[in-house]
Amino acid sequence: MAHFLIQCAVSFVATVAFAILFHVPRAQYVWCGITGMAGWACYLLYLAVSPSAPMASLLATAVLTVFSRAFAVRRRCPSTIFLICGIFPLVPGAGIYYTAYSFILGETAECVANGIETFKIAVAIALGIVVVMALPNGLFRLLEPRRSSRNP
Amino acid sequence: MNSEYSRAVLELAVNIGETLLENGGEISRVQETMERVAKSYGCDQFHAYVLTNGIFASMDGREDGDGAVRHVPTTRVHLGRVAGVNELSRDIASGNVPPEEAAARLAAIRKLPYTSPAASVAACAVGAGCFAVLFGGSVPEFAVAFFAGGVMQICAQKFLTGSMGKIITNILLAAIVVLFGALGTAAAAALGVAANLDQVIIGGIIPLVPGMVLTTSFRDFANGDYLSGTIRIMDALLVAGSIAVGVGAVFAVRAALTGGVL
Repeated sequence: MAHFLIQCAVSFVATVAFAILFHVPRAQYVWCGITGMAGWACYLLYLAVSPSAPMASLLATAVLTVFSRAFAVRRRCPSTIFLICGIFPLVPGAGIYYTAYSFILGETAECVANGIETFKIAVAIALGIVVVMALPNGLFRLLEPRRSSRNP
Repeated sequence: MNSEYSRAVLELAVNIGETLLENGGEISRVQETMERVAKSYGCDQFHAYVLTNGIFASMDGREDGDGAVRHVPTTRVHLGRVAGVNELSRDIASGNVPPEEAAARLAAIRKLPYTSPAASVAACAVGAGCFAVLFGGSVPEFAVAFFAGGVMQICAQKFLTGSMGKIITNILLAAIVVLFGALGTAAAAALGVAANLDQVIIGGIIPLVPGMVLTTSFRDFANGDYLSGTIRIMDALLVAGSIAVGVGAVFAVRAALTGGVL
């Protein structure tokens, strides 16, 4: 449990670091962090149940895309901002590394296995984004802040 | 509608599109925003075709027909500018912003500052350290990845300022991460602390990984912008391949120096 909470906190900080690197407006840092944390928490929770990184990535990406669309409406900001920062913990950087590593070592079978796994994760992330982005706007409009608060 | 007015609207719409595109907006957002802006100013005959690196726009009409083409090479992503343009276009659509004021606000958005170099180094270092932890590391891995990520960002700012092209730059930066990751791990070992080099390197290369391009590419495909999605995915594959080459090159050199044992 403590491990899980630490991981959540670290994914929050990591996402905020990327928000800074991509020059996100300061007011959105926290929301980017929450998006990234939500994705990573889902990823870990799914892996605790079943050891399939692509499935975990699919679920986590779907959840974090829902978060970024909700924040986009709520915070009146493009969803891209939250999505791009929040997705970084899920991007298969480890897959790229292990694929390259086994390639150099000359372990062809290992290299192909790692490469395919990385590709699967990338496809899963793509599916997660595409499916949630296809949800109708009306679903998220329910979250819209009241107009009166902004234009009195 | 006089031609001066329609020229002003065309220019404004194209400049808005250009700002979105070069700072990381996805194609459909660029296209929709440009069309919404033109329509808000009463120019119904505005048409735009947007690609990853170019904008073609025209304003039909007997006397005030006009057109504009822009080449929009990729520059540094600045999501704050995307957010700024988003807000501006919403205000334009609500109908309270005359074209001159909109142009002035756009000029201010295009001058929004980048994060300071020092803050970027800090963010990159912290990001790298955090990712080392997310991939199974602990305090020593965090520290070494923090160091490697920071050095990498400093090198990116000081020595590799784009003149060498994306491929070579990414190969070199990935190699720098591995090199300083290995140095840091060796230093930690000398101090009696064991750090896992794999986790350090994975954390360190994450800031280079083309997560942003990949995400935007997927969104372009989802919106049916296959050509732009393809351009972006090629970009992502090239960068990912360059990172792999950079990482591999250092290991290969080390293997050669130590007689084949990695």
